Amino acid sequence: MAEHAHHHQPYPDDMWVFPRRETAAQDLVSRTIAPISRYRIALIITGVLLALGVVGFIARAATDGFDDHAPWGYYMAVFSFLFMITGAAPLVAVGFRFTKSHWRRPLSRISELFAVLGVLNVLMFIPLLMVLPPLKNPEVVGHQLEIRRSIWFGGPIGSPYWWDMLGVVGLAVLGMAILWLSAMPDLAGAKLTATGFRRKLYGLLAGRWYGSKRQWNIQKAGLAMLGAFYFMFLLFVQFIVASEFGMALVPGWKDSIFPPLYTIVSFQSSLATILLVLFILRKWGGYEQYIGVSPFWSASKILFALTMLWTYHLWAFFITFWYGRLQVEQNILKYFLFESYGWVFFVNVVFSFFTPFFILLWNPVRKKAWGAPLAACFILVGTLAFNIRIFVGAFNAGHTFDHFLETVPPPAWPDLWDIFMVGGFIGGAVFIYLLAARVFPILSVWEIKEGALYQKMENFMHGRYMVLAKPE
Amino acid sequence: MPKLPVLGLFQDANNAADAGDALRQAGISDKDYDFLTDAPYPEGAFGERVEHHRLYIFPFIGAVLGLTSGVLLTSMTQMAYPLVQGGKPILSLPPMAIICYEGTMLGAILFTILGIMFESRLPSPKLGLYDTRITDGYIGVLVQCDEAQLGRVSGILTQAGAVDVKRQAAAAATA
Amino acid sequence: MQEGRALTPTQINRDLLRPILEQPKWFWPAVFVLSLIVLVGVSVAGYMINRGLGVTGLNRPVAWAFMITNFVFWIGISHAGVMLSAILRLAKAEWRRPATRAAEVLTIFALSTALTMPIMHTGRPWRAIYWLFPYDFARGVWPSVRSPLVWDPSAIMTYLTSSTLFVLIALVPDIAVLRDHTTGVAHRIYSLLSLGWQGNARQWKFQVVAGVLLSALILPVFVSVHSIVSWDFGMSVTVKAWHSTTFAPYFVIGAVHSGVSAVVFVMIILRQIYGWQDYIRKEHIDALGRLLIVVATAWFYFLCMEIIFGIYGREADELAMREMQFLQYPWNVLMIIFAGITYFLPVALWLPRTFRRNLWIMSFACISVNVGMWLERYLIIVPGLARKQVFTFTWQTYMPSWVELTLVLSTFGLVSLLLLLFSRVFPLIPLYDIKEGEFLRTSVQVGRRTVPATIRED
Repeated sequence: MAEHAHHHQPYPDDMWVFPRRETAAQDLVSRTIAPISRYRIALIITGVLLALGVVGFIARAATDGFDDHAPWGYYMAVFSFLFMITGAAPLVAVGFRFTKSHWRRPLSRISELFAVLGVLNVLMFIPLLMVLPPLKNPEVVGHQLEIRRSIWFGGPIGSPYWWDMLGVVGLAVLGMAILWLSAMPDLAGAKLTATGFRRKLYGLLAGRWYGSKRQWNIQKAGLAMLGAFYFMFLLFVQFIVASEFGMALVPGWKDSIFPPLYTIVSFQSSLATILLVLFILRKWGGYEQYIGVSPFWSASKILFALTMLWTYHLWAFFITFWYGRLQVEQNILKYFLFESYGWVFFVNVVFSFFTPFFILLWNPVRKKAWGAPLAACFILVGTLAFNIRIFVGAFNAGHTFDHFLETVPPPAWPDLWDIFMVGGFIGGAVFIYLLAARVFPILSVWEIKEGALYQKMENFMHGRYMVLAKPE
Repeated sequence: MPKLPVLGLFQDANNAADAGDALRQAGISDKDYDFLTDAPYPEGAFGERVEHHRLYIFPFIGAVLGLTSGVLLTSMTQMAYPLVQGGKPILSLPPMAIICYEGTMLGAILFTILGIMFESRLPSPKLGLYDTRITDGYIGVLVQCDEAQLGRVSGILTQAGAVDVKRQAAAAATA
Repeated sequence: MQEGRALTPTQINRDLLRPILEQPKWFWPAVFVLSLIVLVGVSVAGYMINRGLGVTGLNRPVAWAFMITNFVFWIGISHAGVMLSAILRLAKAEWRRPATRAAEVLTIFALSTALTMPIMHTGRPWRAIYWLFPYDFARGVWPSVRSPLVWDPSAIMTYLTSSTLFVLIALVPDIAVLRDHTTGVAHRIYSLLSLGWQGNARQWKFQVVAGVLLSALILPVFVSVHSIVSWDFGMSVTVKAWHSTTFAPYFVIGAVHSGVSAVVFVMIILRQIYGWQDYIRKEHIDALGRLLIVVATAWFYFLCMEIIFGIYGREADELAMREMQFLQYPWNVLMIIFAGITYFLPVALWLPRTFRRNLWIMSFACISVNVGMWLERYLIIVPGLARKQVFTFTWQTYMPSWVELTLVLSTFGLVSLLLLLFSRVFPLIPLYDIKEGEFLRTSVQVGRRTVPATIRED
């Protein structure tokens, strides 16, 4: 036909992929059971890193103990780095399921799977509670505060320890509940293929799922409710971590935007990480027929918005302190932004804002599969710099019970054990994630199959366009 | 020889798109016909030519000009009237950045508007051959052709299913 | 998620142009009443200028009160426009279609109304120009760009200019429809305003690109506007309660909260008075209701941050102010009312689907939010100043005078009047956007169910 030559196509061929409903389940499960050789190499490397991290931790504990929080700054920084990424990651699935975005389908399981790292978060959090200074000043020197500034106001029984712990554990449990509920249909399907121990495990996890209409409805409502709880719980726990282990340790630092800023950084970095995983799966994992360019394209706009929001929040903090010109404000700016951690801040701003901004500004770049993941690489470095500057800074800011930061403290440089811990625990997190990917199919089988029902390429007049259906 | 306009009106959008194909097959360049509609159809729905443009340059030029004016305005007025306030330097970069930011955005937006006007060739002094039924959902296929081809083009349009074919003279009479 | 019946272009023209082509019976009486309200406001403003600010309840240290509250309130309402039209346009949400123009127009009128407030508040409005505009070449006296009071007009003027041009550019195709459906003088005026719009492929292409590009450009301006309004307060160190780093996002999200609520209310009113049941459908109100739950919760989060970290510092002047807000009559009562009607009540009403689809309940919830948001600004401004400590020797309270009350009430009349007049000349629902939505509508068959679907270009 003559007019077919004139079919207008506004997007490249690999923008949308249309996985076959019939074979998707079988294929995705068999890939989980028998991974490719690259997987094993990655597992060995990250396993070694985890071991180094543990060595660093033991060495740190043996040399410095848990009495003083100052030597644990880098440990806190890497904890916070991992916590902000893994804590917010499941929310990506929750959020875009809520907005009913079809493009989310390939990345929802990738993001939910981060919930498994809640275990690592809880384990890493325990030593931090041990080094947290008490609310009450054990011995008041000079004009020091009797009770330090804290979000607990010297308040409820057991605070801060029990409440902080409850928050981190609760979030981990809630995240895993989301993962379990979301993966249940896939695991029930996988049980049919698997053998031996794996079959038993899947049987246990899948429970009595047989896919009745009623079960699907419950699963849907359950995921929505758990998602809403998770969102609110996450904001709360991030508020605790940011203020308790950051702001409260710096004398006189009163900054109401810091918890929201922390949350924005976590949203930005977790979306970046997920896109990076998505890219790796597409490029080297052999999942091209399930992952088109469209998730990258749609998510890149959100990553761009988050990048700008981060800068906006940072600016709101900066301009208030700069304009206020109180001594404590000026010292805090010098400490975190310009003098002591000036270079770290530079890396932070360049990698978290300028580089991703100028990468994601261009629509042709956003339309490529590599655009957003490239920005993501920079964002992750920037996020690490953010955590180092804030938490190493906070842990080394001097006497917690002072009224104000009267002088600008010098920066704290990492020693060998700090480097071991930072590299080791990041590697360890990847290690655990890789292990979890052997149990749960890394792409959400039921969501991909469901998506195939509602997305089609169709002719409209003389063009060929995407048709997206929304069942409700 | 100047080209003359012919306007075919279609009730059905698919017919209008077919008319486009027929015109192309008849050797009329796709620069010489256009589709007039009452709403934006998806690009390529009529199999029409791809429109090239440089709109994206406009906001950048505007942004640069806006930023420059912002920098000049803030720095020069402050230096011309140096009054220290609250211990802040005369050339205080953070407040200047805020005004410069607004200037940049204003420049970018103003130039975008100019760019849109320029690229859509608006305002155009003369409406040309037109029919008010277009805003009621009819599709107009506006062809520019030599006088000799007028009859043939009208024929193609009618054959493709045009409910009405207008020529310049008729338009002049109604206008 | 699309309901309602299919509409033909002729029908869309007839329905949406009805208020322009056929004058509603109640039009002149309504204009008369609203003009009267505006006239009263203008007279009172004249009286205030003539007698000086002594006729208001302002005092030392409460030098900002009703008028500034009202200023922040209307700036807040103006944030609806871009929030809805830009974000939903960029997100390609189908249900944005009937809401965008009304929201943008509300932006323009709310913003212009807001501008009048601080100018009147200066007492000698004609002098405001000295502080704001760099014009005095002769004497070399320039406004201080280090003052947030200069940042503010620069942001507002940018926002006003951009959103006005945004509306105008998007109006051109609709004016062309009016041109084709009118005769006589009206036809001539619309012909002139339509700039010779033909509706060819190129023009439409740029109309679509304009929508997306301008949305993306106005969005950062919109965020900056209310941030800078918040910095009018936040930059001050003498009022401790205002000197809070979270003020900017807190104000912006609060503005979106009140603005979107206001748009919902305006849409319900439009639906009722012009019989646009086929256009502003319950699904649209429902979707906006769901959006509002998210916005309200985000706003509430920032409110909590603001209060927690206000008390966190344990500084005497801030604690005195918080004590006034939370414990002293009548502020404590106002505070409880504020929290109730701005968050808990409306969100409770938005949660059930049946309530979101009940226009009475939605109107009530949206008005409740706006009363609450007005109160919010009042509770930030007045107690903050009343317990201002550095450089002050007195603690005061504040009662508005009849002058301020009248002025504030008349601004509501002004915005309503402007909207009404606009709706009589230009369509408040973009015709082509609705038409586009109609032919992009399709469906996908899944088993025995026909699922509504949309054709997407990208």
